[in-house]
Amino acid sequence: MSALPRRLFQGERAGYLFLLPAAVFLLITVGYPLFDTIRMAFQEVTLGTLSRGERPFIGLANFESVLADPAFPIALRNSLVFTVASVFFQFIIGLALAIILNEAFPLRHIFRGLLLSGWRIPPIVSGTIFLWMFNYDFGFINFFLEKIGLIDEPVRWLLNQDYALLTVILTNIWLGIPFNVILLASGLTGLPEDIYEAATVDGANRWQKLARLTLPLMKPTILATLMLGFIYTLRVFDVIWVMTGGGPVNATEVLPTLAYRESFNRFNFGEGAAISVIMLGMLLVVAVFYVRTTNEEGM
Amino acid sequence: MAAEWIRLYRTERTRKRVTKGVLFTIALIATIAYIFPLFWMVSTSIKDPADIMRDPPLILPRDVNLEIYKEMFGSPPEGTQIPVDGLRYMKNSLIIGAGTMVLTMLFAVPAAYGLARFRLRGSNIFMMLLLVTQMLPEVLLVIPMFIFFRELHFTNNYSSVIIADAALTLPFCILILRTGFLQVPRDLEEAALIDGTTRFGALRRVIVPMVRPNLIAVTLFAFLVGWGDFVFSLSFLQDQELHPLALGVYNFIGYYRIRWEGVMAFSTIIAIPVVIIILALQRYFVTGLTTGSVK
Repeated sequence: MSALPRRLFQGERAGYLFLLPAAVFLLITVGYPLFDTIRMAFQEVTLGTLSRGERPFIGLANFESVLADPAFPIALRNSLVFTVASVFFQFIIGLALAIILNEAFPLRHIFRGLLLSGWRIPPIVSGTIFLWMFNYDFGFINFFLEKIGLIDEPVRWLLNQDYALLTVILTNIWLGIPFNVILLASGLTGLPEDIYEAATVDGANRWQKLARLTLPLMKPTILATLMLGFIYTLRVFDVIWVMTGGGPVNATEVLPTLAYRESFNRFNFGEGAAISVIMLGMLLVVAVFYVRTTNEEGM
Repeated sequence: MAAEWIRLYRTERTRKRVTKGVLFTIALIATIAYIFPLFWMVSTSIKDPADIMRDPPLILPRDVNLEIYKEMFGSPPEGTQIPVDGLRYMKNSLIIGAGTMVLTMLFAVPAAYGLARFRLRGSNIFMMLLLVTQMLPEVLLVIPMFIFFRELHFTNNYSSVIIADAALTLPFCILILRTGFLQVPRDLEEAALIDGTTRFGALRRVIVPMVRPNLIAVTLFAFLVGWGDFVFSLSFLQDQELHPLALGVYNFIGYYRIRWEGVMAFSTIIAIPVVIIILALQRYFVTGLTTGSVK
């Protein structure tokens, strides 16, 4: 090694040498694609232009044709409904379970483990299981709901335009429970115990402690969980792709499925990228909102 | 007076017992409801095919029927409806999983060590970027990656899928491993360095054994991401011969007449290693997930 690099990488600076491979790898595999998505959104990129080896700049034309596509407002609306509804119920169920699991009762560690067991099951598998459970003729869910008297006749969950979005939301709520339980439960274990002891001495009951202590103290964790939930749910693709493919008609089309269809079924990569950029903008808004709230709260 | 105290003590004890009982019951019902879909997957895969399309359904299979596993992962008998070479799918998933694992660890170990051991200007920004990377939608990355790999004639090749999966897994793995390295006392490493070992020598002989649990957790996690890959395989691999298990499941659903026992058997094969690894190593993933996401 010549003198110069040796000097550069001595002492603390040697650390950069350790970061370098990962940084370069991520720059190529994430940084460049991110840049290229934004660039493509302003270019005409189809299989035709790609095979000619050119990508002409076309200004806002991709955005214009995306906005003119009647499927776009539907996908945008569905994305928002899907994301907000999924996150809301995942969070409520996750919080309830986290609070219960934080109490002392027999076998709670086993319950906790089992409630997290589905965390990394590929969404394609979960989607497939629910596709079968929501099956019209022989699905377990129709059978169960009829048995307990909630419905009189089988529901066409995935075949009916009015129910398909609800069905994928229900599936996605199940998918998100472990993630919410993990984050919220670890937030709960981090709370200071002495405050609770003081509240008990003062005669506060369980519900008062929950409303006046737990929830306010948990605010940073709750905000982070909701924000991450939003980010991770807005991008959901596999579950919907395997359960409905965005249908019937457009009933479950969301921005990720629309972007994918535009790129890989219609081979209009420029328009797919334009939809990605719109999604990116939405994620940015949520992130900015989150950072501002946490700063205002002085967290 | 004493009798009064005993009475008070007893009611308090009963109250606590009732509370515990109620909590236990709620947790039990919630857990059963949550686990049910996974149970239903396994149960469907081992039922007699005649019992699957049944109204009302059988909750438990009459007996364990492993025919579909033999058909799909052994030798399919002549004239089966959808001849499926399950072992080929499994081999593809194993290759993608192993590749993702090796590539991820190659970058993750030094990066996590660098972040934990050195006071570097910009390391906070680097960690911030890792968190942001984790949040990017897969669909956003798959489009430019496809074009990138297409230009390199890299599509229809395991490597494209492995590289994409490693990129998506790397941030999480670096963050978990970093917490592992932070737990190793600095003196220990310095002692090793003074003994004349090189930094890499110290890393290999002193530090790696101490962070072994985190290392194992992260390695298996990276494997699981590749093992269950769907989006990248769907987009990059046109050749059916290269398709992994998850894509197999998706392909079967496209058939006009779905054989649910087969689809559920495939799903079970994918899910089993995932559930086992997550249950066994929960602790590490939980710390990694929370340090990575909540400031």
